[in-house]
Amino acid sequence: MTYYSGKDGTLTYNGTQVAKVSNWSISATVDTLETTVLTESDRSYVPGLRTISGSATVFYYDNAPVSLLERVVKTAVVSESDILVIKLGWGTKLIQGSCIITSAELSCAVGEVMQASIQFQFTGAPTGVTL
Amino acid sequence: MSTAGPNFPNLVPTARSMSPGDFASKVFRSQSGVESRVQYGNKAFDKTIDLEYSNITETDAALIHDHYLACNGTLYYFGLPQKPKSGNETFHVNDESTSASNRYSAAPFGLRYRYAEPPQFNSVKSGRMSVTVKLIGVLDS
Repeated sequence: MTYYSGKDGTLTYNGTQVAKVSNWSISATVDTLETTVLTESDRSYVPGLRTISGSATVFYYDNAPVSLLERVVKTAVVSESDILVIKLGWGTKLIQGSCIITSAELSCAVGEVMQASIQFQFTGAPTGVTL
Repeated sequence: MSTAGPNFPNLVPTARSMSPGDFASKVFRSQSGVESRVQYGNKAFDKTIDLEYSNITETDAALIHDHYLACNGTLYYFGLPQKPKSGNETFHVNDESTSASNRYSAAPFGLRYRYAEPPQFNSVKSGRMSVTVKLIGVLDS
C-alpha cells in the first residue's frame, strides 16, 4: 500500500524531464450522445468523443520551463512540429500522449518566485496509461 | 398514383412533427368583400411529417437510406408503420386500423406518404449518425 504525493510527481516532454515542476493536473472527459427516443421516459446516451487536457506550473529556474513555453511564445508560427509527447508520472504510474500546448503564461511578481503555467490538450488517444 | 414502395423502416424517432394538411377548396371574394368558400374534396392532403433520428446506429441509418433508394427517391409512395408514429398513443389511436379516428395510415383516408425531399444523413462519430426525414402525405386514388 503506497500513498503518492508531490515528491513522486514528474513531468516529461519528448523524453526529457522538466525540472522544478510545482504541480500538474490532468482531466479526461467523454461527451455523451443522446439516444433517447419518443417512447422512453428516461434519457439514454452512448459515449461520444473523449477529451484529455491538463495543466502544469513550473518555476522559472534556469531554463526549466523554456522548452515548453517556446512551443507557443515565439516569433515563428505554431505548427504540427510543436506537438509534444508529454508524460505525467507519479512513482511507477504514468499517463502519456501527444499534446499541443494551448496556453503558456509567465508571471513575475514582487515577493514571489517567477513561474510559468502551461495548459495542454491531448491529440489522439493516450499512448501510455498505467494507473 | 405512382407505384407503391416498401413500408418505411419501423424505427422510433427522436422527434417528430406533423402538420395535418388541408382540404381542397377555393375562395371567391366579391367586390363587396363578401367571401364564399367552396370545398372540392373531403380528404385532407399535403399532410407533412418530419422525423428526426439522432445518434442512431449506422445500421438503422442504412435502413432509411436503402428505403429511400427502394422508393426511387421521392417517386414512390409507401406506408408508415407503427414505430415512427409511436410516443403519442392516444393521439394515434387505431392507427393501424380502418377506424375513422385514424390520423396517419392509408385507410380510410387513402393517405400514403412519399419523401418530400431526400433525407439528410449527418455523421456524428464512428458508428453513429443522425438522420432527418421529411415526408409528405399524398392521397391514394
